[in-house]
Amino acid sequence: MEKVTDFFDTWLKSQEKFVENWTEAAKKAQDAFLNLAGTGEGTSDAAGYGFFTPYNSWCRAVAHALREAGGSSVDTLKDTLAKTFSSSNAYMKVYDLWLPFVKAFQERISDPAYYRELIDPAKYKEIIDGLFGLNAPEAVSRSFDQAVKLAQTISTSARGFLEPWAGAMQEGMKMAPQMAEGRPESFMNIFHAMFNAFDSTFGRVFHVPAVGKDREKIELLLRGLDDMSVYLAKNTEHQHMMYVTGLTAMEKVIEAITRKIREGEELKDFDEFFGLWIDVNEKAFYALFKTEEFAKLQGELLDSSLDVRRHFFKLMELYLYDFPVALRSEMDDLYKTIYDLKKKVKSLEKELRERSAGEVVA
Amino acid sequence: MKTPAGPDLKKMLQELSELNRKLIKGASTLMEVDDIDVGTAPKELIYEEDKLKLYHYRPEGKVTCSVPVLVVYALVNRQYMLDLQPDRSIVRNLLQHGIDLYLIDWGYPTKADMYLTLDDYITGYLDNCVDFVRRKTGSGKINLMGICQGGTFSAMYAALYPEKVKNLVTLVAPFDFSTNDGLLFSWAKHMDADALVDTYRVIPGDFLNAGFLMLMPFTLNIRKYVDMLDVMEDREKLLNFLRMEKWIFDSPGQAGECLRQFIKDCYQGNKLVKGELKIGGRTVDLRNITMPLLNIYAAADHLVPPAATKPLNDLVGTSDKTLYEFKGGHIGVFVGSKSQKELAPALSQWLHERAGDEAVKEKPRKQRNPGHIREDG
Repeated sequence: MEKVTDFFDTWLKSQEKFVENWTEAAKKAQDAFLNLAGTGEGTSDAAGYGFFTPYNSWCRAVAHALREAGGSSVDTLKDTLAKTFSSSNAYMKVYDLWLPFVKAFQERISDPAYYRELIDPAKYKEIIDGLFGLNAPEAVSRSFDQAVKLAQTISTSARGFLEPWAGAMQEGMKMAPQMAEGRPESFMNIFHAMFNAFDSTFGRVFHVPAVGKDREKIELLLRGLDDMSVYLAKNTEHQHMMYVTGLTAMEKVIEAITRKIREGEELKDFDEFFGLWIDVNEKAFYALFKTEEFAKLQGELLDSSLDVRRHFFKLMELYLYDFPVALRSEMDDLYKTIYDLKKKVKSLEKELRERSAGEVVA
Repeated sequence: MKTPAGPDLKKMLQELSELNRKLIKGASTLMEVDDIDVGTAPKELIYEEDKLKLYHYRPEGKVTCSVPVLVVYALVNRQYMLDLQPDRSIVRNLLQHGIDLYLIDWGYPTKADMYLTLDDYITGYLDNCVDFVRRKTGSGKINLMGICQGGTFSAMYAALYPEKVKNLVTLVAPFDFSTNDGLLFSWAKHMDADALVDTYRVIPGDFLNAGFLMLMPFTLNIRKYVDMLDVMEDREKLLNFLRMEKWIFDSPGQAGECLRQFIKDCYQGNKLVKGELKIGGRTVDLRNITMPLLNIYAAADHLVPPAATKPLNDLVGTSDKTLYEFKGGHIGVFVGSKSQKELAPALSQWLHERAGDEAVKEKPRKQRNPGHIREDG
């Protein structure tokens, strides 16, 4: 599988480039920030510009399909149509994957190694990505971008500090989806290093002026970004597991095909190949999903995504605090009060009903 | 000279062209569909409480089973699966067999319902519905028929209020959560329920759906729709498919506190089986289930594996217990042809045989609590 190895090597190279950019940006950011801290410039208290976009991106990335629960016929028809087109697209992608095999079938080549050479891992990755919604790095990239804009809004005077960081973020995150098949643990290191450095620079300036709520916002933002880095690392690990399983399944498909050829059987048409491909993949992924390792990782992935959401919710509250809108925590309190009152009323009603029933019997 | 093997190019092109033709034609047929009708068996709304609605199905002919049946569906997905379409309706089937049928619709929880607990569902809503049906029909005890998670709820209820339950029927319901046979059981053990509930409050239905689709990702996300292209030109077959699609993706959110306890106490702690589950301060002891039990499981159930369902029969206090194996999957229990031809009649017969002399008939009286009542008994 030389081609596949090359593919991973390319990922790895792009990942190394990413690390390089990131480190450079972190250094620039620290330098810029230390200069800024010396000026003692204040911060603004503007609203959370652009916050909803990362929030929405996040919903899509984490839950895969957080659409409005509706259930109307129109929704069902629309969704079915979308899914049909999407499945047809997947069908075509598998078709694309199989095309190079056709000539080999016709020549009755039964050496699995020959077929392995024909697999295009990039195309295979597209299928797996589409099926499992593994496009999170792009969404996270957008989220980072928006978070940077948000930080800029918090601290307009920090523009000099944020801009190089933002630039590096955008540059680096563009590469993130392509690196998903590299070494997953390195993501964790990159992001932690970045945010630890970032946090410590912010921490230094906090000791200079007392910035109240603004400081709290920035702290939360940093925590949120740090949480997001953990999520991204977990997500990468998760994706890696999926890709490896997918490729292993493809190996099994090849084995099944070459076995058929050796036994003198024929693969009649693409539908037969498609059916075989689906069956083998379903089994391979089921075997993966059943492992303790996968269940544990999935739990961690979910936890890390929830951490990010929680921090963004808190941040959103801080931003909306000065506006005449009901906050989430305030609504929670209200719901609790209503819940308790309703429960009490129901209990009293029930008691009354039972007493009345008792009186009727008596 | 070797004979060329495998598909020829002409055939391959035909396959592609055929796929595109089906897709275009199918899309056109889809756009012509106005409505996807589900749950069409005639019924009346007789009781409401918050978002819950209790329905009474209009009998089809003479009611021959003297004890009414209250159907308790799961909080996940919607109850109209039991009446998906007229020729695939366990509801209509039971009505035709003379069963007097009541059904709970739990509704769609919103953030305002985030604090609802397992206790609220079992000793609140469910108990109120049971009492309402008892009062309306004058039956001292009624039959409970719980579906999936609703079956778990029904068993919990029957253990807490055995004096109100004449017979207990559970269909594809989980009781023993220690198994890892089903992926959901294995995944839930690694889920931080506190983090999930504290973040979402009401867990979106689509979140759960994403998990269900992961159980068979290639079949449910690709093959199903590619196969559908073959039936898209047939309006009736397409409608059958769409009804199921509507049901699959019509997923109510889950009230956070209730789900928190369900995950922690059931999926992770397996407390129901251990006799350690507490609801509203009371311990749920399955040995209190002294009424006849019919426990139905599906041999090929990938959502609630038989290993999670079957143990109930060893834990209950009754000696009249039946374990019924349905040869099919989780959904097939409700809509499969075997369900209509074999399961529904068997269920009806079991209920009729146990309706007899213990049914305490009282004269139905006017309902109190008019604020919640839509129709007097």
